[in-house]
Amino acid sequence: MKFFRSHVLVSVDPECIEQGAYQIVDALNDELVAQGLIDEIQVLETSRLGDPVRFGPDLVVYPENVHYANLTVDDVPFLVEEHFLKGRVVEKFRAKETVITDDELGAPKAKEVRIVLRNCGKIDPHNIEEYIAEDGYQALANALTTSTPEQVIDEVMHSGLRGRGGAGFPAARKWQLCRQVPDNPIYLTCNADEGDPGAFMNRRVLESDPHSVVEGMIIAAYAIGASMGYVYCRAEYPIAVANLNVAIEQAREFGFLGNNIFGTDFSFDLEVRMGAGAFVCGEETALIASIEGRRGEPRPRPPFPAVKGVWGKPTNNNNVETYAVVPQILLHGADWYSAMGTEKSKGTKTFAIAGDVVNTGLIEVPFGLSLREVIFDVGGGIKDGKKFKAIQTGGPMGGCLVEEHLDLPLDYEALTAAGSMMGSGGLIIMDDETCMVDIARFFMEFTQEESCGKCTPCRVGTRRILDILEKICEGKGTLADIDRLELLCEEVMKNSLCGLGQGAPNPVVSTLKHFREEYIAHVIEKRCPAKVCRALINYEIKSPACTGCMVCARNCPVAAITGERRQTHVIDAKTCIRCGICVQVCNFNAVAVLS
Amino acid sequence: MTKPKISSDWMAGCSGCHMSLLDIDERLLEIAELADIRATPITDLKEPDESGVDVGILEGGINNSSNEEVAHRMRSRCKILVAFGDCAVFGGVPALRNMCGTQEALQRAYVDIESNDASGKIPNDPELAVMSNMRAIHEVVDVDLHVPGCPPDPDVIYYVLKELAQGRMPEIKDENLHWH
Amino acid sequence: MINLTINGKQIEVEDGTTVLNAARQNDIKIPTLCDHPNLTPYGGCRLCVVEVKGMRVPIASCTLPASNGMVIETETDSLKKSRNVILSLLFSERNHFCPFCQVSGGDCELQNASYDEHMTHWPMQPQWTNFPVDTSHPFFILDNNRCILCRRCIRACAEMSGNFTLGVEERGSATIVVADTNVPLGQSTCVSCGSCVQVCPTGALIDRTSAYLGHDKQMTVTRSVCRGCSLGCGIQIHTRDNRIVKITGDYEAENVGTLCKTGRFLSLDEKRTRLTSPMKRVAGQLTATSWDDALTTLAQNLSPLKGNIAALASTRLSVESLSAFKSLFADGLGSDMVTSIEEGRPTALQAKYVDQNGSAIEGKLDTLRTADCVLLIGADLTTTHEVAGFYIKRNMPKGTRLIIVDPHANGMDDLANINLKPKVGTDEAVFNALEAAVIKEGLARTAEKTSNVSLPDALKVCGLSEEDVTDAARMLAEAVAPVIVYGKGITTSSEASVMDAMLRVAKLIGASDSERRGILSVKGEANSLAAAQLGLDEQLEVRHEAVYVAVGDDYVTKRLVEKLEKVPYLVVQASYESALTEHAHLVLPVNIWAEEAGHALNTEGRLQFAEAALTAPEGVRSNLDVLNEVAKQLGVTVNEDWRTALTKRTSVVELEM
Repeated sequence: MKFFRSHVLVSVDPECIEQGAYQIVDALNDELVAQGLIDEIQVLETSRLGDPVRFGPDLVVYPENVHYANLTVDDVPFLVEEHFLKGRVVEKFRAKETVITDDELGAPKAKEVRIVLRNCGKIDPHNIEEYIAEDGYQALANALTTSTPEQVIDEVMHSGLRGRGGAGFPAARKWQLCRQVPDNPIYLTCNADEGDPGAFMNRRVLESDPHSVVEGMIIAAYAIGASMGYVYCRAEYPIAVANLNVAIEQAREFGFLGNNIFGTDFSFDLEVRMGAGAFVCGEETALIASIEGRRGEPRPRPPFPAVKGVWGKPTNNNNVETYAVVPQILLHGADWYSAMGTEKSKGTKTFAIAGDVVNTGLIEVPFGLSLREVIFDVGGGIKDGKKFKAIQTGGPMGGCLVEEHLDLPLDYEALTAAGSMMGSGGLIIMDDETCMVDIARFFMEFTQEESCGKCTPCRVGTRRILDILEKICEGKGTLADIDRLELLCEEVMKNSLCGLGQGAPNPVVSTLKHFREEYIAHVIEKRCPAKVCRALINYEIKSPACTGCMVCARNCPVAAITGERRQTHVIDAKTCIRCGICVQVCNFNAVAVLS
Repeated sequence: MTKPKISSDWMAGCSGCHMSLLDIDERLLEIAELADIRATPITDLKEPDESGVDVGILEGGINNSSNEEVAHRMRSRCKILVAFGDCAVFGGVPALRNMCGTQEALQRAYVDIESNDASGKIPNDPELAVMSNMRAIHEVVDVDLHVPGCPPDPDVIYYVLKELAQGRMPEIKDENLHWH
Repeated sequence: MINLTINGKQIEVEDGTTVLNAARQNDIKIPTLCDHPNLTPYGGCRLCVVEVKGMRVPIASCTLPASNGMVIETETDSLKKSRNVILSLLFSERNHFCPFCQVSGGDCELQNASYDEHMTHWPMQPQWTNFPVDTSHPFFILDNNRCILCRRCIRACAEMSGNFTLGVEERGSATIVVADTNVPLGQSTCVSCGSCVQVCPTGALIDRTSAYLGHDKQMTVTRSVCRGCSLGCGIQIHTRDNRIVKITGDYEAENVGTLCKTGRFLSLDEKRTRLTSPMKRVAGQLTATSWDDALTTLAQNLSPLKGNIAALASTRLSVESLSAFKSLFADGLGSDMVTSIEEGRPTALQAKYVDQNGSAIEGKLDTLRTADCVLLIGADLTTTHEVAGFYIKRNMPKGTRLIIVDPHANGMDDLANINLKPKVGTDEAVFNALEAAVIKEGLARTAEKTSNVSLPDALKVCGLSEEDVTDAARMLAEAVAPVIVYGKGITTSSEASVMDAMLRVAKLIGASDSERRGILSVKGEANSLAAAQLGLDEQLEVRHEAVYVAVGDDYVTKRLVEKLEKVPYLVVQASYESALTEHAHLVLPVNIWAEEAGHALNTEGRLQFAEAALTAPEGVRSNLDVLNEVAKQLGVTVNEDWRTALTKRTSVVELEM
């Protein structure tokens, strides 16, 4: 492998591409060639560095770790001459704010331990050699040449690795079940459908470090005796799909996929299968149906996929993250992994923090950290000095946790006992200006849209639940509606065929449990305490704060504000569409939101 | 012990349910012995007793604001409210207009229909109650007993009245539900 | 065997039985909607959920395999509440207006299920949005307002007829049953088999003919046999007031409920004029007369011509009638031209072959239902004998391969794995080529000596490529249970030697051996085989003074009319007016198929008794009676032992009498 003195990582995030990132890459290479520096400086493509809206197109230079932003092709010659030839940082191109605030993946924050994310942003996903340089495929080589499949299963068993897709079933035990089925061929599938809104952990790994997943899958295939594997990746991740295909091709070239890997009699190949926009295909039997070319609908179990999966053959399905961590476990040993985390939840987990916190983005922390630590230490606390209200874990199937849960450890058992779940790792933090009824409605809208339609409780029940939530948010709800809501939630959870229906009412149930008074306020007082539900809020201009500057009247999109210069203005409640523009433009905080 | 008081009223219905009630023929006398039949649309008294009745029977669904008033009035004046006939139970035939919308239904009935001449127009009378979507009674007030049928079978009506008259809640099932 | 407990009752069932079936077998009722005993379980409506000890949530019993030690409860209060909610959800999902729906009042499974739960109402509102109603199909209507998305229709379209026209579009609450890629049913690939209508639990799929003509319980149901073709599918004829309201498939018969449009719909689509009185030609005009007069006239005209009368019978007539017909004209009157209207076209070739070779060569329809590779030669199963085509089509997704040999365009061409289009009339060469190819590839199942036929010679004659023939040979020889299906394309045009060629191939590929006979011919109409057995398979040559045609309710071709229009004395025994009756000198009105009980011998040799479901109009007599009367008039005694008559000739397929 060539050794370079500097690496230039150019972001080829889809938004940066639109702004000309590829042209920048080409221009860089051209200029480096022209300057005779092409053997010393390597230009690489990587995923998002900073917010493309503010910084794009951008790049970072290592080892100096200088972030240049808003570049154009014309800037490149000057940049190369100054930075690489003369060794001077070009301040005028430098990103104005520190990258960390909006960076998807900056330097690790305090309390982070990056195992799954270790290579992201550091290596070129299109270059297998860089992966190998980071001990890539070493675990595979060891496993194939010095261990038996049973030994591999043993090691993973001892590490305590649990499936990272959401259910948290011990991964090695799943492999064992599959291995024991007397049928062949055996298939391996990787669930890369990542449908939870706001979850992008898997995306990051697939785009930036696809080989970790490939290697993990080959090791798992060896353990269970599979001969063919499918990575089911959602079509909304085109870069992930592309990078996976490149990685698979390169792995084949290097002999890590195909016949007689490492000269043993183990043969395995991988294929990428794309999804087509259905959240329900993240459910493993629906995923299998989709791979087989059928309509993505779950089927009843038993028989379980371990016994009858793809094409009716034994199939092991795991999440991207589960596979990605396997090589590390084999390299460093089960004890190393099980030393991290809690008694029943070993190792680390990636989380996507979203919502009203200072630091949003991906993190990877060991299990056992408390929610308080995650929100306030790693997350930087609630934005804009507001107050913490609730945190939603586990995505649209999860529940919300409140103040009293903040000291709970982040682990499978604790979250489930508190009425939520780990899920795939999405964490949505809400401040006190969030309406919990609206949140429940938002999640129900999602699951309703994504319901496959096969079973009555989910197909119709979620629709009825959503109807009631919408009615409540519009101020037309009654107490009888809340009773019916509870009945429907219970019945849908009990009788649905798959996890989507069984979990869809969860946000409603948990918000009803912790924030019942908000529902009651909506229903009886027709008031939204958080002042979010448009039908229940009114905007009023306060005097003496209002100076009559007329800025709000000019900006109102529906001309609902009237008033003379220097006179307190008035908003006509009937015309007002509650868009909130007047609040934003008023320099005197004269517009109050009332409910 | 005083006889239980039964009162009935109708809203957006065709009165067929009350006709079916009359079809219990001479068994009506038996009911009259067991209970005190108070106001009904087909007897002299027109309003359920302000002091309240035990059983309130409502035929027809809720079509406009005056129907709503009738429903609320009966609900507040009775202990057991019976939704009588399909229109009362789920909306029935008039509810079909919910499929095309009230405005379209009015247009068709008052203007476009073949039996009208060119002078047809939708009445704009302040006396006319506000039109709304056709609703079942249970969407507006709590209902204690539903008696389905278009109309309900006289035998079923007799059974229901007899049970109610003797202070029992009738259970409409098996043959009584399967009758049509 | 599996032992489990349901509602405290200990029961024992076979391995692989679902909990629902275990309950059914032991008279324990679990309500269902999407389930159907003849379709694969779906598990979607959730009405059949039961409580299983040890499981966290209720489980759908229709898809739950029974296992040892399971403890199941089906009538807990919690389950009853769930059923109520599920039914309420279904009612509120679309627009279920019971008052004007024709299945309301006993024929709607949704309504019945809610009545079973003692529901007098449901607490939510209907949707009030209009769902599409598709009225484009000639035989039935799809009303999406009444659909509960149980998917039975889709499963029936796949598992009964193998047509795969119906499917669903969109997902969640926007899911809707559509034909093909959401085209109107009337313009889709639908073949009108009606399986979907038969299985629909609500009034979503409505048969146009029977709609609003009464509830099932007001109908008289007669189990009978379809007379549409030689497959002889079991049917149930639903009548009311002496009128056929609808025809459904009989689940207890061999076809297990599957029918095609001919049997289900076309037989009710009768547009011809019924004959209700005997007629004789007087001064050039056909005039009505009495039976006595008609029969006397017949005797007067035919008695002098005894040996000179040709006779034709339709193969739709019952075995009894055909046997009487033969006994009367061939044996009794010694006529030299007694045949069927089919003239042996679908049956003579193989019948003569078996005459000489002494034993049956064809197998049963069950071999077709279980075949993993089918060679379809000289038959288009999309125009007639459709149910045989369904048996093939519905197995293709499970791996059954189809090879079609047809010089003309064949309705199943698009489905076939291999399509061979040889020159017209070269079937023998095709078989020879296949034989040679099998041997050349070393795939012969039996130790045959090298074939006498050279592959290049055979290919030259039939005009096929070596690659195609080899592919076909390989596909057939590698199959575990191959079947050859042949029809009129072979039997009408080929020389007898084609049968030898076919049998050689059958042996080589393992279609025919000591254990199974994987050869079938679809033959012609209902009693095509019976006609062959009775020797009624000569080609018609009219050189006679009189011709007697027992048409029954069959259609009359132009070709036949042309052959008979100049006959000096023509007697026609028919149910409907036709070009033939217009030329007749004497017309005798007879029963249609549903009015006359009798036996039918289907293409696989199975004898079935077809009940009558209707009473004929006044003035009409049964075919058998008329033939017996005619015999009496002409002084002939009819031999009533039709059973012996059928077995006199070696049959091409083993008869099951």
